[in-house]
Amino acid sequence: DTWRYAHEEYEGDVQDVFAYDFKEYVEENSEHTVQVYRFGELGESDDIMGQTLSGILQFVNQSPGFTGSLIPSAQIFFIPYLLPTDMDTVVEFFRESEAINQMFPKIYADHGLKLIQMYPEGEMVVTANEPITSPADFNDKKIRVMTNPLLSATYEAFGATPTPLPWGEVYGALQTNMIQGQENPIFWIQSGGLYEVSPNLTFTKHGWFTTALMANLDFYQGLPEEEQKMIMEAGDYAFNKIIKHIDGLAQEALDKIMADCKECTVTRLTEEQIDAFQARAPQVKEKFLSMTGETGEKLLNQFQEDLKEVQKDK
Amino acid sequence: MATIMMVIMIGLLLLGFPMMVPLIAGAIVGFVMMFDGFGQMGTFIQQMMAGIRPASLIAVPMFILAADIMTRGQSADRLINMVMAFIGHVKGGLAISTAASCTLFGAVSGSTQATVVAVGSPLRPKLLKAGYSDSFTLALIINSSDIAFLIPPSIGFIIYGVISETSIAELFIAGIGPGLLILLMFSIYCLIYAHLNKLPTEDKSTWGQRAVAVREALWPLFFPVIIVGGIYGGIFSPTEAAAVCVLYAFLLEFVVFKSLKFPDIYRISKSTGLITAVVFILVAVGTSFSWIISFAQIPQSLLDSIGISEMGPVGVMIAISVAFFIACMFVDPIVVILVLTPIFAPAIEATGLDPVLVGVLITLQVAIGSATPPFGCDIFTAIAIFKRPYWEVVRGTPPFIVMLLTAAGLIMAFPQIALFLRDLAFR
Amino acid sequence: MSDNSPDLDDDTGTFESGLPGVLGTIDVFISKLEAFLLAAGVMLMAINTCINVIARYVLGEGLFFSGEINRILIILITFAGIGYAARHGRHIRMSAVYDTIPVKGRRVLMIFIALVTSVLMFFLCYHSYFWIETLYSRGRILPALGIEIWWIYIWAPVGFAITGIQYLLTAIKNLTSKDVYLSTGVTDGYADTESEV
Ligand code: NA
Ligand code: NA
Repeated sequence: DTWRYAHEEYEGDVQDVFAYDFKEYVEENSEHTVQVYRFGELGESDDIMGQTLSGILQFVNQSPGFTGSLIPSAQIFFIPYLLPTDMDTVVEFFRESEAINQMFPKIYADHGLKLIQMYPEGEMVVTANEPITSPADFNDKKIRVMTNPLLSATYEAFGATPTPLPWGEVYGALQTNMIQGQENPIFWIQSGGLYEVSPNLTFTKHGWFTTALMANLDFYQGLPEEEQKMIMEAGDYAFNKIIKHIDGLAQEALDKIMADCKECTVTRLTEEQIDAFQARAPQVKEKFLSMTGETGEKLLNQFQEDLKEVQKDK
Repeated sequence: MATIMMVIMIGLLLLGFPMMVPLIAGAIVGFVMMFDGFGQMGTFIQQMMAGIRPASLIAVPMFILAADIMTRGQSADRLINMVMAFIGHVKGGLAISTAASCTLFGAVSGSTQATVVAVGSPLRPKLLKAGYSDSFTLALIINSSDIAFLIPPSIGFIIYGVISETSIAELFIAGIGPGLLILLMFSIYCLIYAHLNKLPTEDKSTWGQRAVAVREALWPLFFPVIIVGGIYGGIFSPTEAAAVCVLYAFLLEFVVFKSLKFPDIYRISKSTGLITAVVFILVAVGTSFSWIISFAQIPQSLLDSIGISEMGPVGVMIAISVAFFIACMFVDPIVVILVLTPIFAPAIEATGLDPVLVGVLITLQVAIGSATPPFGCDIFTAIAIFKRPYWEVVRGTPPFIVMLLTAAGLIMAFPQIALFLRDLAFR
Repeated sequence: MSDNSPDLDDDTGTFESGLPGVLGTIDVFISKLEAFLLAAGVMLMAINTCINVIARYVLGEGLFFSGEINRILIILITFAGIGYAARHGRHIRMSAVYDTIPVKGRRVLMIFIALVTSVLMFFLCYHSYFWIETLYSRGRILPALGIEIWWIYIWAPVGFAITGIQYLLTAIKNLTSKDVYLSTGVTDGYADTESEV
């Protein structure tokens, strides 16, 4: 059969590379073919999720931030400083976390989705009109965020004024000082040229841009067991390849930015500076709990345990 | 599947069905063939709603409302009077004034039709009286009104920006250069035409009269300042600028000029709502249509079959221009933008062409095509408004079409015509 | 650029129903309601968007529910408007070929056009109703306003139904009269002179 797979990014971006790795594995190990649709081809995030739920699409890759209106607890990834900060620990976290590997699949299944793989795309980096070293630096700054209440809560907690804007307007809005900053993984900052109009990069270490591959649950359960197994293996295969792909991707993008932009600055927060931001995290947790109730509380507790677990090994 | 959809759509279109019907029918056929029946019509409806969801589309009714208020009030006349006071007396001045007034009113209005009404209606009797032939006059009015489509605000840019995820603010700014270039070309043609036909000139206005005309037009001249200045200065998004224009138009016509009375606002809002609905239902069904052709991967196979991958950026620009030009000779511009933009999207992305440049080219082609026989919809607008026969309306258009196509060629050869101001503002 | 009757005077002022008796009264009432919703929708949208701009300057941030209100209004305007446009024969069409046909042929063609369009409208009415049911069952809400999302789409099936009825009436009107009618109240502009020949 032809299986249809939609994601939220452009050609060559992380989700696209992941999709083609997944496709490669499926096509080598079965009679099926996978048709990949990129951003905008079948609509926006809301649309491709709806199409997956109604069974037109078999697979959808979507970031929990967008899944949030369907599965509120998926927004947990927007709570600042909940994930570890360095690459190795993050990878280990995604491989071993009980929250991610046991609890989330159950939550997704309740909404008609088979969670195949969650994976990190990159660390969030803030760009602004001046370097950010403390929450006070965020005062009077309008920071562009994706349309998501919890993400807005994070930037409110940091002291900024969160401003939801569609991606297409971000460059112009920064250029004309309608907003004073934004956050994104570094390779988007590079490929979108955002550093040209927002030259001060701050590594706040507050979170990773995370995304997830899902399948329509009825479709998945209707498959013979060996094909179900093959799909999950394809997810593992793509995960292993994407981890290698994103390793170094961030550094490469940063090098390109610094080569191209003389006025650009890079600020990496020190432990004490991070503490000042981290002190603001509890109010975001509160907001998360008020939005998600008991499910959210269990998930959050498990996340924190998992985090301790992986950090203990270090 | 693509062939069947095409045949059905063109057939229904030519028979004179409301334009939403060919799109609905084409899309339904696509859904039925793709999913073996009506099982996925929910997605059809869902995509319709997704089509009218983008917040940027709010700018469309707002700009229509602002232009509607001003067309019924005094702003248009005051702008025309000012232009006339300055260039009415030169050879061909009346014709040049018409083109210039269209350009200036274009900075207020998002649509060709509104401009034809606002500028064409009062100036056509004057042109005829001065000895310009009717076919020249009609062609001048139609084609000059098309400049309004390139000068911000422009409904074409808004729809293209929403469909292609391109910044509407950047498109707006990029339209100014080409709009002025075309005004320049038209003005030269008017000058030559007036000399060849030995047309008389108008009386020269005194500086006193000019001062009065400028003072009268001062208030309406703030519109371009709000729109262009607002966007340049990062004060407004295009949608916000549209809302501010409405507020300003309201204050101007209802409070300052007192040309309209409060009950008029109900009538004007109703008329704006009607035009908006007629456009947005097309946007809605057009989105379902482009969803199904995208799902069936028709754009890719269509583009492969014309060998677009070997064309390179210039070849792609030419292919896009030709396709939009031809389509707009037959079909309403909104429909063309809705249907063709997603088809060419993969090629635009693959060649790395600047989507803003492509947007300007597309909008220009839309403007040209819709003034080109046989069926360009501007022709029928002119027939309806001026009650003139088809042949009379069409006869004077060739020189204008040649000039507009030259402008398109120049923009392809020198993209900076469009991109210079954009780069100045946004890069 | 896209209203095919760009005459900016109010040509939709009066509406006479094609239906007899009580049904006619109801139809005229619906027409008035549509007109009111159109005008109110546009005015509210203008007010809402203006207030949002002002709030962004005075309070430093826009109103968080402004976008959702506009989203509701645009659906209202679109679907109240398609029925109203059908009543007044204002949907955009490419009539160049149609116009060359003599009056009898045009009448037959118009009956065909109106019937097919009517069927398609009822078809979309039916499917949008079931789509709203699906939305209802998924229970999503508008994040800022907190109301269930299916509410905002209620106008879709209603608008399609009214449009379908209007085109059906247009077909009947053409079947029972000598002139060609674009809608129940609007002749196609050539019929008057030609039918006298
Ligand atoms: Na314009
Ligand atoms: Na035009």
